[in-house]
Amino acid sequence: MEILRAENLVKIYQDNGVPVHAVRGINLSIKKGDYIVIAGPSGSGKTTLLNLLGALDRPTNGKVYFQNEDITTKSKSELSKFRLNNLGFIFQAYNLIPVLTALENIEFSMMLKGIPEKEREEKALALMEELGIKELAHKRPNEMSGGQQQRVAVVRAIVNNPAIVLADEPTANLDSKTAQHLLELMQRMNKEKNITFVFSSHDKQVIEQAERLLILKDGMIVNEE
Amino acid sequence: MNLLLKLAWRNIWRNKRRSIITLAAVSFAALLAIGMRGIQIGTYSLNYKTAIELFTSYVQIQKTGYRDNPSLNNSFVFDNDIKNILEEESYKFTPRIYADGLISYKDASLGAALFGIVPSTEKNVTTVTNKLSAGTFFDSDNSNQIVVGAKLLENLNAKIGDEVVILSQGFDGSLGNQKFTISGTVKMGMSEFDGMAVFIGLSSLQHLLGMDDRINAIAFDADGLESAEILKRDLMQKISDPELSMLLWEELLPELKQLIEFDNVSGIFFLGILIVIVAFGILNTVLMSVTERFKEFGVVLSIGMPQHNLVKLVYIETIMITIIGLILGNILGYAVNYYIVQNPIILGGDLSRIYEEYNFVPRLESSLNAHIFFNVSLSIVIISIIACFYPAYKVYKLEPLKGIRHT
Amino acid sequence: MLFKLAWRNVWRNKRRSLIVIGSVIVGMIAVILSDGLSNGMLRQMLDNQISSNILHIQIHKKGFNDNKIIKNYIEDSDRVEAAVNNTRGIKAYTKRVITFGLLSSANSSAGVFIYGIQPETEKEVSVINSYIKEGNFLGTGKRDIAIGQKLAEKLDVGLGDKVVAMANTPSGSIGSDMFRVAGIFQTASSDYDKVIIYVPIETAQSMLELNDKSNEFAMMLNDYKNVASVKEELSAKLGSEYEVLSYQDLLPMLIFQMDLYRESMWILNLIIGLALIFGIINTMLMSVFERIQEIGVLMAAGMKSYQIYFMFIFEALIIGIIGTLLGIAAGLLVHLPLSFTGIDFSLFSEALESFGVGAVIYPVLSIENLISVLIIIPMIAVAGALYPAYKAVKLEPVYAINYV
Ligand SMILES: Nc1ncnc2c1ncn2[C@@H]1O[C@H](COP(=O)(O)OP(=O)(O)OP(=O)(O)O)[C@@H](O)[C@H]1O
Ligand SMILES: [Mg+2]
Repeated sequence: MEILRAENLVKIYQDNGVPVHAVRGINLSIKKGDYIVIAGPSGSGKTTLLNLLGALDRPTNGKVYFQNEDITTKSKSELSKFRLNNLGFIFQAYNLIPVLTALENIEFSMMLKGIPEKEREEKALALMEELGIKELAHKRPNEMSGGQQQRVAVVRAIVNNPAIVLADEPTANLDSKTAQHLLELMQRMNKEKNITFVFSSHDKQVIEQAERLLILKDGMIVNEE
Repeated sequence: MNLLLKLAWRNIWRNKRRSIITLAAVSFAALLAIGMRGIQIGTYSLNYKTAIELFTSYVQIQKTGYRDNPSLNNSFVFDNDIKNILEEESYKFTPRIYADGLISYKDASLGAALFGIVPSTEKNVTTVTNKLSAGTFFDSDNSNQIVVGAKLLENLNAKIGDEVVILSQGFDGSLGNQKFTISGTVKMGMSEFDGMAVFIGLSSLQHLLGMDDRINAIAFDADGLESAEILKRDLMQKISDPELSMLLWEELLPELKQLIEFDNVSGIFFLGILIVIVAFGILNTVLMSVTERFKEFGVVLSIGMPQHNLVKLVYIETIMITIIGLILGNILGYAVNYYIVQNPIILGGDLSRIYEEYNFVPRLESSLNAHIFFNVSLSIVIISIIACFYPAYKVYKLEPLKGIRHT
Repeated sequence: MLFKLAWRNVWRNKRRSLIVIGSVIVGMIAVILSDGLSNGMLRQMLDNQISSNILHIQIHKKGFNDNKIIKNYIEDSDRVEAAVNNTRGIKAYTKRVITFGLLSSANSSAGVFIYGIQPETEKEVSVINSYIKEGNFLGTGKRDIAIGQKLAEKLDVGLGDKVVAMANTPSGSIGSDMFRVAGIFQTASSDYDKVIIYVPIETAQSMLELNDKSNEFAMMLNDYKNVASVKEELSAKLGSEYEVLSYQDLLPMLIFQMDLYRESMWILNLIIGLALIFGIINTMLMSVFERIQEIGVLMAAGMKSYQIYFMFIFEALIIGIIGTLLGIAAGLLVHLPLSFTGIDFSLFSEALESFGVGAVIYPVLSIENLISVLIIIPMIAVAGALYPAYKAVKLEPVYAINYV
């Protein structure tokens, strides 16, 4: 079942008056349960594409459909609600709110959905337990390693049962062993819970484990396997 | 606790030093404002009370028109009708006459403000009879003894017991003079009074001025500024004679009232400036704390936090700091004001002479009136909310991507 | 070099520096305005008193100023006149008879200071004639009298109405005379308008049996700065029988009040400064903490602690000086037009008139105060940077370089 579709996506940035074609005409269809990796050299437009798919940015041209609904025409606050209800994000860094504990960070996105406090806590703790990071519950980000932080970020991203999790180079700041750990976690989520993941990465490790691999170059998909 | 509140609270303590300095600024402003307002308001009411209770009194009945044209012509007969009404209600009141005259001793003559009073009832209304600095107060209102201001006695070069001549224009326009004996002096600490006042028995003065039963004013006591207004309204109801006017202390002391208002306005202006300066400090702190968190804000916006919630967060943080600062400032302010209320600052030396020159009591008091604390706190909260407009606007306009990308 | 570095750093975070500078500007405008008003008010009180009545120097028989009785008249008028004429620096002088008396109309009476004056010379020394609201100042009529607006109201008289003045003569008898109101004046002081009346000196002298004697010689100098020397010269010439009093002697409370204000105005500046210092400390702290890594690099590159210390001090100093200068400029921009148009405080006119100020206050700037803020505010800025700069110096280079 298709959940997200990009049609003819184009993004042109203005860099001091010089147009930069970051994404030029990408067509893409993402199905439920996909585990997609977008790879490509630096500057090839990976981040830009992910941002467009995640409704963080508006395309210069083209459309993005979420379950056949055009999301490129939505207002700012509609998009905000859309992201909250349907998407999960994992960034390269600064994922967690520094003043909140791991548990509270996970609760945070549930709070935004208006889930009552008790339910929040139970669900978050259950999920943390399931993923084996329960002992991190009351630690703050600065008391955790980078890998631990990213794992908490994964839990936060999936706790609201999003249709898709978008992750922009989630392993870039991690050593290969820790990165492997994180990848396994996400794969498990993909298999067990059928959560859709879309990654961008340079990382060989990540690319090797891809189910679907898109290679980007100069803002276009040059290869898909 | 609400997660948003928790978040705000922890954010405040994230940069302890900065928050402490900001809340110190707020406390400082609050303390200074409360202290200054306390002294102003305490001292104002001291001066109002002193001036009113010294001699002016809270409410007076005068002949309509007397205030604009204070001449003997504008007098009225203090008849039994009025007296009965007033006695029935058991008001504390006393009749008076005011006139200008000359007082002469040997070859010196000086200007005098002649006050015809009834000592036995004056006592119930004002404190003037307690201000005796030497000698005795005559007790009958047809005595030929008088009490004069201490400075006047000095200027006349006379002593208690000396005989003086008082000259004044009577009710019918003719000049009258009469000998009196000085039985005592009063000292009120106001140059105008101490250098000019002459107290004479009401009947004696009526006789000197040929006024028969006429008087210029009936002065009334009240329990305070508020009950004076009630008293005035009551009197207007009971004595509905268009020939007579009921005047409140502020109509009787317009200059004092304005002077105090003037001081009040300049005090408020100064405090306003102070608070605005502190607001700039708050603006800067909030702006910094917001800009350095743009990345973080970008992430929470990406995961779907509504923009207005983020604005709310910024406001909660600012108001929390402000309120902590205010609590501290209010406690300190209360302590300072309490101390001054207990130990009024007595102005000494030359400073006290300046105060007397302008007929002020040379003493600074303070006040614990809840309005002071409330108004100061409210102004600071409002100004800190205003100071937040700009940072809040920046947050409101923040795009999730800009936040993430922001360096 | 250090200074250049500091200068660049100030402008690195423009918005932040501008906000601090903005707060300094607001503080300066407030200081300049409130100082201008207080100063203007005191100056107006003094100027009004001097120009309408007191003048620069007065000569009396010794003891007159403390006890203004008619008997204390100047015996040897010619000698005093000669002394005045032989003293340089005196622009003009006039003779006055002064005594306390009672002024009565058909309706009412009031205690007043009767001033017997020489209308022609009085006009040269004082500006009282310019305050005439109705009618004319004293002319040639022997029975002319000029009285204040407030007194006219009290006595219920208008131009041409009859009033009777009465006062003791030196022998102790009562002298009295009839006058007609020729002019009604209104000065800035309600007290003055209530108690001072002017009649021709000759009429006063005959009513008071003074022959050609007077109580006072009052004079204006070419330059008020010479008051002390002229006063000294006159007292030397006249000897101990006479008192020669400057306006400072005659208005001791007002002069004291002005001194007191001058001595205490720095307190106001300091309070404003304290309100500013919190903002400065915070800004400088931020400036230090967002540059920790950079400081580490500078330290590693061999910059000495004191140099780093002064770099931050200079940064604050630059902000302080720019803020103060811009603030003074902005303050002057507000002040200058107001100093011409004045600020109308009609709402408080009765109170201000009881002070002798008048309802319109023209702000006057004191150079001393400008200098005082020019020193205090930058110093406050430096004081606000002491702690942050100390924090910067205390950083360990290794820690600082690796700080993110
Ligand atoms: N906001 C922007 N303004 C101007 N140009 C931009 C902007 N964002 C990205 N670009 C440009 O668009 C192109 C694509 O950038 P993008 O960040 O998508 O690449 P990327 O594949 O994510 O690279 P990397 O692997 O380094 O993260 C680059 O040439 C980049 O310089
Ligand atoms: Mg990228």
